Amino acid sequence: MVTVRLFGMTKMLAGNQGALSLALPDGRRVKDLVAVIEAAYPKIGELLHKKKVLVSVNQDIALEDLEVKDGDEIALLPPFAGGSGHR
Amino acid sequence: MSLEQVTKPDQPVTGDEAMLVRVQREDFSIDEELRRVRARSKRIGGIAIFLGTARDRSKGKDVDGITFEHYEGMAQKKLREIRERGLKDFGIIELSILHRYGEIGIGDNIVLIIAGAEHRAEAFQACKWAIDELKQITPIWKLEHTPEGEVWVEEHP
Repeated sequence: MVTVRLFGMTKMLAGNQGALSLALPDGRRVKDLVAVIEAAYPKIGELLHKKKVLVSVNQDIALEDLEVKDGDEIALLPPFAGGSGHR
Repeated sequence: MSLEQVTKPDQPVTGDEAMLVRVQREDFSIDEELRRVRARSKRIGGIAIFLGTARDRSKGKDVDGITFEHYEGMAQKKLREIRERGLKDFGIIELSILHRYGEIGIGDNIVLIIAGAEHRAEAFQACKWAIDELKQITPIWKLEHTPEGEVWVEEHP
């Protein structure tokens, strides 16, 4: 199981939960995590696919092939209040 | 004043350097933060300040108040990165960055950037760069309270 922290609109889209506990049965990469989130929360999945919401692992923006390890600090980051995207 | 405001849990008490970059719920004193920057070096001859405040209109709609949410830890890390890059890239002497979180009333302070340099040109440049960069890379989110409801927005004040 991994814990994924939620902020802003992602928290709202998950019914105001501050974090999700997810099992990753089919792989340990960020893209596997995204697939699990998409199945449970299609609206968040859509934002992840559009790169409107980014995944961070240990406080850095993570690419989809990054492997997620036990104890990693994972979060879903909606667009920052800056508005012109992430980098 | 609440207990949280008294104890200031987000502010490490490890000296002035740690106080130069903060994410905190309570308001800040511009004079106090300015004193902190000036105390860093007598070589400072130009100081540029950016203060962001909460306005009552957003995209043509009334706003009654704003709530800022931040990613504790990552937000501070990104602000420290901005300070370090600012010091390195702009030849300035000091850069202080403060951002508030929680509920903020209309007209109240949100964010403060203070850039101290030998001369004004570097101070202005670094100050503008720092607030632009803050908006780009710092995990802080804004919820606007409007008469029609609450909206998470993608645009910084």
